[in-house]
Amino acid sequence: MRLTLQTLISHGRVARRMGLGPESRINMLRNILTGLVRHERIETTLARADEVRFYAEKLIDYAKKGDTDEKAMKMASFWLTEKDLVPKLFKVLAPRFEKHSQGFTRMARLPNRENLDRAKMAVLEYKGNPFPPLYPVKKENELTLINQLLKGYREEKTQELYMKCTENVTVNN
Amino acid sequence: MNLSVLIQSLRCSLLRIESRLLQASGLETNLAPALAVDGPSLPPQLHPENQLEEQQENQEQPSGLLDSILWMAAPKKRRTIEINRTRRRSESKLIKVKNNIEPCLECGHLKQKHTLCGFCYAKVSRETALIRQQINAMEGGPLRAPAVETVVLYEGETPSNQDKDKRIVERPRKRPAWFSY
Repeated sequence: MRLTLQTLISHGRVARRMGLGPESRINMLRNILTGLVRHERIETTLARADEVRFYAEKLIDYAKKGDTDEKAMKMASFWLTEKDLVPKLFKVLAPRFEKHSQGFTRMARLPNRENLDRAKMAVLEYKGNPFPPLYPVKKENELTLINQLLKGYREEKTQELYMKCTENVTVNN
Repeated sequence: MNLSVLIQSLRCSLLRIESRLLQASGLETNLAPALAVDGPSLPPQLHPENQLEEQQENQEQPSGLLDSILWMAAPKKRRTIEINRTRRRSESKLIKVKNNIEPCLECGHLKQKHTLCGFCYAKVSRETALIRQQINAMEGGPLRAPAVETVVLYEGETPSNQDKDKRIVERPRKRPAWFSY
């Protein structure tokens, strides 16, 4: 006996519906992916960025197979609508991620869009892009008082150790 | 002429069947108390009596189950202001308090814990827009992306060993502190 209603309840369905249907969804993601490969950092809605992330990483996996591979070239030419990005994909992005096995993209959430819709926004980028980083690298300031005091302490300790070593050496000699 | 009379008679018979079905199912509204004598308590409704009037009054009295204009729900009493207030100010209708707001460590503006700081991102986004303008100027037209890596150099910087094969994008300003090499 079937215990669940198949229609009208979408419990557990994880696939997102975007645009006017599955074909429209693929076309939309294709456009976003082309923009990502061209600009290497884009900001879109959270749902779209999340969907494109999967396809972006799979595209790099295909690109790693090399441009002589038939399937890889077909995939690249399908997914990139602007054909001047196909050589960029194979010659720039694939060698950049040679050492990495997964995790070629980074997604971060942004404050909601300023429009009336207050949509959730996200920024999606390929790692290793030439732009300023989203998460600024924290550099310890050498010139703060505490750091200067610690530096002096460390130097004193090394001095003492050095003195002890030279004393031991002279005593032994 | 004969055709219209035929259609009228068909209509009447259908309405009669419908009223009979209603009586049988018990959904009729014109109920009356049962009598000790076996028989109908109300005189049977004869539709042929109203045959001529029905056509005119069709809009006002929808027959059958749609006899609901006289049966619509309406409030009995005015809702007092106390009741209105409790409904309008119930917890589900108030704006929820957020406890995931914290100051950004870099600039001090407020941000949500799971989000990037808006001010810091605006800074970064402005700089990337300027870098992209420079790139567009260098490319000179659409669809001319080169198949080499790009590196951004600011005033007074020379390309290092790693930047040998890369396309260099010059920005005519000092390197910002938050954009380390």
